[in-house]
Amino acid sequence: MAAPAATPLYFPPGDGAPSGKSRLMFRFLVRRVIGALVILLIISAITFWLFYAVPRDPAMMSCGKNCTPENLEQIRKNLGIDKPIPVQYWLWLVGIFAGRNYAGFDYCNAPCLGYSFANREPVYDTIMDRLPTTLSLAFGAAVVFLILGIGAGMLAALKQGKFLDKFASSASLLGSSLQIYFVGYIAMFFFVAQLGWLSQPQYTPLTDDPGAWFSGLLLPWLVLAIIFTANYTRMTRSQLVEQLSEDYVRTARAKGLSRANVFFRFAWRGAMGPIVTVFGIDLGTLIGGAIITESTFSLQGIGRLAVKSVDQSDLPMLLGVTLLAAGAIVFFNILVDAVYALIDPRIRLA
Amino acid sequence: MTSTDQQPFLSVKDLQVHFSTEDGIVKAVDGLSFDLIKGQTLGIVGESGSGKSVTNLTILGLHDRAHTAIEGEILLDGKELLTASEKELERLRGNKMSMIFQDALASLSPFHTIGTQIGETYRKHTGASKKEARARAIEMLKRVGIPQPDVRVDDYPHQFSGGMRQRAMIAMALVCDPELLIADEPTTALDVTVQAQILDLLKELQQEFGTAIIFITHDLGVIADIADDVLVMYGGRCVERGTKEEVLSSPQHPYTLGLLGSMPSLDGPVDVPLSPIPGSPPSLLNPPSGCRFHPRCTFADKVAGGLCSTERPLLDVVDGRGSACHLPPKQRGDLFADFAAARH
Amino acid sequence: MSFSRRNFLIATGVAAASTSVLSACSSGSEGGSGQNDAPQVSGSKTIAIPVGSKADSQGPAPEVKGAVKGGTIYSLQQFDMDHMDPAQIYNSTEAAITVPIMRALTGYKLDDKGGAVLVGDAATDAGTMKDGGKTWVFTLKDGLKWEDGSDVSMDDVRHTFERLFAAFITEGPRYVQTWLEGGDKYKGPYTGKSLSSIEIDGKTVTFRLNEARTDFNYTLAMRGYSLVPKKHDTKEKYDKRPFSCGPYKIGDRKIGKSMTFVRNEHWDPKTDSVRNAYPDQYVFQMGFELVASTDRWIADQGNDQYAVPIFNEIAPERIAQVLTKPELKQRVLTAVDTATYYWPINTTRIKDLKVRQAINWAWPHQQVQTINGGRATTEIASTILAPVTPGYAKFDLYGAKTTPGGNPEKAKALLKEAGKLGQKLVIAYQQSDTQVKVAVAVKNALEAAGFTVVNKQVDKSTFYTQIGKIDNDFDLFGAGWSPDWPNGYSVFYPCWSGKNIGDGRNNYAQLNDPSINKAIEAASKIADVDEANKAWGNIDKMVLEQAAAVPDYHKIRNYLYGSKVGNVIWDSANTCVALNKLYAKK
Repeated sequence: MAAPAATPLYFPPGDGAPSGKSRLMFRFLVRRVIGALVILLIISAITFWLFYAVPRDPAMMSCGKNCTPENLEQIRKNLGIDKPIPVQYWLWLVGIFAGRNYAGFDYCNAPCLGYSFANREPVYDTIMDRLPTTLSLAFGAAVVFLILGIGAGMLAALKQGKFLDKFASSASLLGSSLQIYFVGYIAMFFFVAQLGWLSQPQYTPLTDDPGAWFSGLLLPWLVLAIIFTANYTRMTRSQLVEQLSEDYVRTARAKGLSRANVFFRFAWRGAMGPIVTVFGIDLGTLIGGAIITESTFSLQGIGRLAVKSVDQSDLPMLLGVTLLAAGAIVFFNILVDAVYALIDPRIRLA
Repeated sequence: MTSTDQQPFLSVKDLQVHFSTEDGIVKAVDGLSFDLIKGQTLGIVGESGSGKSVTNLTILGLHDRAHTAIEGEILLDGKELLTASEKELERLRGNKMSMIFQDALASLSPFHTIGTQIGETYRKHTGASKKEARARAIEMLKRVGIPQPDVRVDDYPHQFSGGMRQRAMIAMALVCDPELLIADEPTTALDVTVQAQILDLLKELQQEFGTAIIFITHDLGVIADIADDVLVMYGGRCVERGTKEEVLSSPQHPYTLGLLGSMPSLDGPVDVPLSPIPGSPPSLLNPPSGCRFHPRCTFADKVAGGLCSTERPLLDVVDGRGSACHLPPKQRGDLFADFAAARH
Repeated sequence: MSFSRRNFLIATGVAAASTSVLSACSSGSEGGSGQNDAPQVSGSKTIAIPVGSKADSQGPAPEVKGAVKGGTIYSLQQFDMDHMDPAQIYNSTEAAITVPIMRALTGYKLDDKGGAVLVGDAATDAGTMKDGGKTWVFTLKDGLKWEDGSDVSMDDVRHTFERLFAAFITEGPRYVQTWLEGGDKYKGPYTGKSLSSIEIDGKTVTFRLNEARTDFNYTLAMRGYSLVPKKHDTKEKYDKRPFSCGPYKIGDRKIGKSMTFVRNEHWDPKTDSVRNAYPDQYVFQMGFELVASTDRWIADQGNDQYAVPIFNEIAPERIAQVLTKPELKQRVLTAVDTATYYWPINTTRIKDLKVRQAINWAWPHQQVQTINGGRATTEIASTILAPVTPGYAKFDLYGAKTTPGGNPEKAKALLKEAGKLGQKLVIAYQQSDTQVKVAVAVKNALEAAGFTVVNKQVDKSTFYTQIGKIDNDFDLFGAGWSPDWPNGYSVFYPCWSGKNIGDGRNNYAQLNDPSINKAIEAASKIADVDEANKAWGNIDKMVLEQAAAVPDYHKIRNYLYGSKVGNVIWDSANTCVALNKLYAKK
């Protein structure tokens, strides 16, 4: 984590601050990325171990009625799970970098995350196929909840104690207590089935048809955003109220700077830090899949894939999805720290 | 004031500042008047909560308008500030009148470089380019005695030491050559050496530009160093005023007397124990009746008829000198002399 | 099938009987009872699926009244198919979806009343049995073509059966592989060797079996034995893109998301008595949870008007709403599943017949039914065979229907008689919301009857593995089974014959009763369908007389479909909407 500077940084003349800063940033990124890879390695090992910690036989899931021991053995061999668990893990790891040859499938090119036990598709291909849906959902919803949440929070902070503030606060309380599967179905019933204002939620690749992409995802974005907006409204309001009472904001006003200038360049800048942090966590989590939203709107994203892989004891898919989700969170964590350092010069990249 | 022939640059008349809070009305300033001419320094003394900072924020128009009721008049160079529009005030702030705050670390933006913060004030009021503003910032930093100003101009406040931050703060307040400078305890957090440097700096600058200064402090030693006139505030009211010499050498109000007793005297014996004023500052939500100081006043029982707890003592100012106390002036002199003697 | 994967979705294979297929409108509003809108299946008569004549096997399939050609039929379904190589297909979703593109030697011809006969599909008839069932002969029809226009050859027929032995074929049914002579040593055609028990002569193929299989022609109708072209066999990759000889072929497929069937112009309707092929196109859309799909069918808008369900039943949350609104109810297809849900009793641990009978008497049928969704979705069972499975005999040994609330007094009396009052029972059930509630209800009922009950929740994915171990610690466990083809053999042989006790085998009760073993042996050799059915019904009764299980319920499935889909009937062969019979209304 970034920590406030304990000692003042002083750049001697000739070694300008910007280049020193970017060098620090580069070292920070390298160190953090290495750390992230170690974390992912540990997570994958734990997932692997946990998967087999309960008595479980994926081969049994594929072995039909009147399953014979020979058949079971053949399935294990085909799936690549006939070896001891540590060896399986090692082979899986090597496969990521070097590719892997399976008895029951084709050669699996690097980065090979294995073949799904359930539908015999390469895990990597499946994840890459589902990722655009989840990314579209996550980023689209993020745009909506950032605009609505921060906008409402700013208004509330500006109109402290007035009607607008109370309205925004109550609305955000209401929003945070809503459930997606409830709001989602109600919204679909009214806006799609009854009124026909919005089209049936579905995913069309952005590159195929931007219009269809937008109209198909609009409702999921709005509904998913409702849940998050509340949090951002509250956070923006409280951060801004706090920052607006800071001495440096008063100083800026005392210098004759306009209200708007002070609000955005000073108070908002100070309020951004914690919001960026939470946003990073939210976005990272969303990329791991918005399970309920995806189910409610019948979108085929990472979240559904995760649930399905758990349901079907599909270890390779489970590992792939877990790594993606963990990777997203770790990635955004690094990004947040880097952005935080850009927002607040007191933060040292460590 | 010392010279009445000069038109006061700043004139505050019967200022009342009341905040509405959830618990009720807070009478932060309750009928305050004073004048200040150019080139002079007015020291305002008082404990925290006495209304001295509120007064100055009100002059700048930085109070919370939604929850504040203000009465009275504030005239800056003949212009009424309380009725001025926000735009007009913005043009004045940082330009004709500016302010130095107490805690420079908290009062400077942590997100912008020193140079940016000084420069943006300059640009706002002069319309200068970024380059010009930067040059001006360096010039100001140099003037307030920052070493290597052309390098340090790109530093952030947290990279400065405490004294340097306060200097930078002063540079920022003076960048547009203000005619009125309000310094709100600018030296409180600093060590004595740095404090002396800062005070010298302010005096120098005042001589150079003829700035009128309001210097807020609770430290009479600093007042002795910098002020021309002194105004003592207690519970939102002025209890005593006069020239520095008058107030410090012959205080007319028991509170001022108490303040003097609670600070070490440089010329007196070293072993004299300090005698802090007993009790705590009054609640402005529910201020004491009559004289607000009476619950803590040693002499309250010397006034006949319990007047101190029922009647508000009037401040009668003659020739810039006055105090608000029910004790008859004659009796006052004797009592104060006994009190001072008892201390020695 | 032992619902090991996807749990109850997996009910595979074949079931029958026209009367079991109720459309909700005929059972409810017209009858005028109005009291109870829940679909009813009690009293439905079971009709055996007979073997059809050579004439029945000749195409084209009889026209559906009022049907029109053209248009597109859509689906809203939860899952994509895990497998499309027929030899890897064992579950009914996959079997049902592939009806329009795959053909086996035999198949089921549906009539417009929902009844079915076994006919020759790729073969000219349903086969000729010799040597009391040890030899079977089929003749390939003329004019069968693959989607590239090439003829379906006798080489393809041989190859279809030989490739079943390849190492990558692990998931489909294994009946034919075990029955073909020499199959135990054969390793598949890719090594260049062929299996001598499959003999080709002109257009006929002869199978020589190592045991008498009088129902071999029914077995061959399973999707696992559909034809695969030798020339286009891509081995492991065939699972992703099979080659069609039916009226449609795969147009476009996005795995996990969608698949389309477009017309195969090389298909000749005159060769096909099973498929009508009215729509120009099928579009399967995956990824819909039950509530989502139900809501879309309720809304009935746009393409959803042409949508049919493939295993997406009406969501439990919406079933009351749908069944009580007449305008929705007329778009409901109700069918009884061939699966029976029952609780095998571990006879190795609970040896005393009286104790097992006491469990049966004490069973809280009604309560369990309510937890499982009530009368709209379940029918209390008193037999192992479902009422829709040929061989079903109606009996009720332990008052499941007369005292559905359970009979604790009688159970207690039996326990006392056996001197086992306070008998400890360990119950294993699968981890799910419903099952937890069921387990509690059962525990309470059994304890009221004098048992001491311990409930153990077992992870879904390992449930069948755990109860399938001979040496398990459970006395009673919730399971289910549906037959692979319409007779008692595919129920009683795997689940109740002493030959199938063993780790990973399906005789979960570990019942090894010599007279039952003998009866199963004898019944599987009876060539006459009616007589065989009678024998299986009798075995059902024998098993329950041993109280080796508590029959729980038969599943009733309710499907909603779009308003512009015509002739939505039940395919009793694939326990699914009959894709080959419906049409898009103009």
